[in-house]
Amino acid sequence: MRLGRDGWAGLAVLTASLVLFGLTLGLKDSPLVPIGPGFYPRIVLGVTAVLAAWLVVTELLAAKRARPMPPAHYGMVALMFAVFGLYVLALPLLGFRVATFAYVAAANALLDPPRGARGWTRVALVALLTAAATYVIFERYLTVLLPRGSWTGF
Amino acid sequence: MFELLGAGLANLMQLKYLVPLFFGTLAGIIGGALPGVTITMTIIVVLPFTFGLDPLQGLAAMTGVYVGGSAGGLVTAVLLGLPGTPSAIATTFDGHVMAKKGEPGRALWLGIWASFFGGLIGGVFLIAATEPLARIALEFGPWEFFSLFILALSMVAGLVEGSLIKGLIAGALGCVVTILGSDPVMGQERLTLGVPFLRGGIDFLPVLIGVFAFAQIMTELERGAGPQRAAALARAANLTVRHLRVIWEILSRPFLLLWTSFIGVLIGVLPAIGGSAASMMAYDQAKKLSKHPERFGTGTPEGIVASESSNNANVGGSLVTIMAFGIPGDAVTAVMLGALTIHGIQSGPLFISQNAPLAYGMFAAYLVAHPIMVAALWVGSRWMLRVTTVPQAVLFPVVLVLCVIGAYALNNTMGNVYILLSFGVLGYAMVKFGFPLAPFILGVILGDQIEINLIRAIMTDPNPWLFLTRPISGVLIAGSVASFAFALWQHRRQQRRAAQNADGDADY
Repeated sequence: MRLGRDGWAGLAVLTASLVLFGLTLGLKDSPLVPIGPGFYPRIVLGVTAVLAAWLVVTELLAAKRARPMPPAHYGMVALMFAVFGLYVLALPLLGFRVATFAYVAAANALLDPPRGARGWTRVALVALLTAAATYVIFERYLTVLLPRGSWTGF
Repeated sequence: MFELLGAGLANLMQLKYLVPLFFGTLAGIIGGALPGVTITMTIIVVLPFTFGLDPLQGLAAMTGVYVGGSAGGLVTAVLLGLPGTPSAIATTFDGHVMAKKGEPGRALWLGIWASFFGGLIGGVFLIAATEPLARIALEFGPWEFFSLFILALSMVAGLVEGSLIKGLIAGALGCVVTILGSDPVMGQERLTLGVPFLRGGIDFLPVLIGVFAFAQIMTELERGAGPQRAAALARAANLTVRHLRVIWEILSRPFLLLWTSFIGVLIGVLPAIGGSAASMMAYDQAKKLSKHPERFGTGTPEGIVASESSNNANVGGSLVTIMAFGIPGDAVTAVMLGALTIHGIQSGPLFISQNAPLAYGMFAAYLVAHPIMVAALWVGSRWMLRVTTVPQAVLFPVVLVLCVIGAYALNNTMGNVYILLSFGVLGYAMVKFGFPLAPFILGVILGDQIEINLIRAIMTDPNPWLFLTRPISGVLIAGSVASFAFALWQHRRQQRRAAQNADGDADY
């Protein structure tokens, strides 16, 4: 018997819920209240573990025919997650304005690769307009504070 | 009630409320018209703009997005055959056919005016039902609230399409998110896994924004950049129409309008089923009750009226559950719930009595958003189609930047941005593994309330049978069991049908 996609998902949830359940056993009860901090988490994690085990068993028992997956651009998805991850890491270092400019430029160039000087001008303009417009609208007009960069100082 | 509504309407007529309501409605229409951008995504984008506004301004903008978005999807559905939102899918069946037959204006305006009338019928229900329902909810103790939240969660988990187990797991995972941080009784740190920003627990808004925005954007990217939608047909189309004739076409079918709007309201009240189910169900009902069911799908006005009136009436139903019980009917009202929390307002049964001007201001915003929606579409329906040509390469990075602002501005810490990214990855993974997002989000929103009410109930009286023996609580628990049993039966039936179809395929 081989595990399919649902089986692996169920196993992942089962493992995570059992690990967290184990951690709740270390929570100390308070003498002031009859119910400790681990009471509800144990119920939730127990139910989650049982459901995940149910999913794994159902997957093992079901004789499913493998369905062909439609072709997908997973490389682009991974790349966009990576670029967004870098943006999130850069925000406290470079500040909102610089990091946003760099992020929008990178994402725009990846999604629609520029050709020639005109293409790069488009990328720069989109990035500049997004960073400037969001900064002015939120920080200046709506008084919403945006992240400052520890390296850049603004 | 009428006095308060009158005061709410008078208050809303001030420019400082009309402006956000107008821009919210416009943003909703544009977001709704963009295929691949849902109302949830639009309201997530609009959310950070409401942080600097007063509560009613923010809620007026969001109500506008909800109303506008519910109607906006029909523009592309009718003129291009591309439903802008899932709730406009049923509109394409007859709307696009009618447009192709040379009556694009009639098809479009039948949809717009049906949205208008359906929305107003939903509004009547919203205004009439919220206060009495909230009064009933005020009688609830912790047993009843616990059972009510369990009912909501089990209904959502059971009614989602696809696997029942996955729906239940998604709901349970949502509750798991709420146990990370600190316990609600003594504030003791628990399950923070050594991560500093988890000490205060996890706000549901960055979770919601991350899960929905990334799930949608990354799924779109997966498919690759689609061809730019040609709006040539729409640009060439003549949208001129005699409005009184169109209105009469709708109002001369009062039973259809009332029945399909009622279906919309009913589906809206049930958590997380959504406008797409409402419009499909209403379309199906209209077809079954019609004297000429064979005309459905060939460009009949009944199909457009059924789909669009139920779709907008659904908004009124969804707002009832959030305002009376504090339970979001869908992701859009979940964001509205978050916006209320940001302004320090607790939704739930006390909301309407403690914040009457705000509640009636919201009712007024809901009502006024409808004529604004009609006016905006009157002026800009043709122009809206040009919006569909905005390239994804520009749209998606901008949306994600706005998501970052929305998460960061909640309490000006990067912690919420890290949560946004983490749950963005989780949301995309959930979609890829076929786990529904709606029960997960409801679990995140209701998880701590379930815990608080469970503990309150046990601390008041440790007898666990009270959950069953107290009449309202017992009925609600019975409802949970019934909804679970119904979902199980429905899924088994679907599996049997699928197996029969597979056998049938094999024979041929």
